[in-house]
Amino acid sequence: MTSRGTPSRFLKSVLQNGVGRYVCQLKRISIIFSKKAQSSLGVREFIEEGVVDYANKNPGTVVYVSPQPCRIPKIVAEYLNGNMREEMITSKTSAQISELLNKLSSQSGLEVIRIRKPFHTDNPSIQGQWHPFTNRPLSITPVRPPKQGSAE
Amino acid sequence: MVFLTLSSWIRNRGPDRYWKVKELLKHARHFRGRKNRCYGVAVRSVQRAFVYATKGRVLKKRNMRTLWISRIAAASREHGMRYPVLIQNLTKSSVQLNRHVLSDIAITEPRTFHSLAKLARARQKEGFCAALGDGKEPPGVLSRVVLMQ
Repeated sequence: MTSRGTPSRFLKSVLQNGVGRYVCQLKRISIIFSKKAQSSLGVREFIEEGVVDYANKNPGTVVYVSPQPCRIPKIVAEYLNGNMREEMITSKTSAQISELLNKLSSQSGLEVIRIRKPFHTDNPSIQGQWHPFTNRPLSITPVRPPKQGSAE
Repeated sequence: MVFLTLSSWIRNRGPDRYWKVKELLKHARHFRGRKNRCYGVAVRSVQRAFVYATKGRVLKKRNMRTLWISRIAAASREHGMRYPVLIQNLTKSSVQLNRHVLSDIAITEPRTFHSLAKLARARQKEGFCAALGDGKEPPGVLSRVVLMQ
């Protein structure tokens, strides 16, 4: 995995979320599972007991539950910035699925790729960024208006 | 008569070649020439790219440190000092800023760097006083070097 060959991004927050009000970035959760298959056993348990509590705890997120004939049960999470994440939940227990859902709801929608720097500032320089003339002495004396006495 | 030998000559090769090739070529998409399209050429180039990436992780640390050192040296020369003098006197004054932070300060906070250079110069003078002088403390004491000697 080369740094040029794999995507990377800078550290960012989504519109400074949390400085004022915190908005949950998770828009929609769709739980796709099968009614009869053995791999969706944990999902079915979770839907029996945990899904309603989860939906009540996260009022800003819409939860869709869609039983379909499918081989692998999935959770599809869509975020406010348009990104989508699919997680496979084959043979996971109900507790693991609820942990996964909590993790998804605490994420912002930014991609999980290499972050180039672990810091970011909008104002990196307070005293003024260095330029070749910062430490040079002034070549001309400052221009001042002529003294009142001599002028009159 | 049924011909049976013909069908026994058919080999069932692996079913996954398409995906194996795709997985490899996705690491070669930004290469130049046939290396980004043709599997046989891409295998070797991708292998070399990974080897270079591994070696580069060690080199990056070295290169960044030399870059910071040259930036700090240039900034301290603007204030009339040299890099080894600055670093030695800063460590003697127990200023534990590393070269990364010092180079960032030199770029974004030039006045702070100027005051650090002055601190180092003062500590250097005290060191000289302690080594060459008569054991009396100079005015405006910065550190207790003279007394400790």
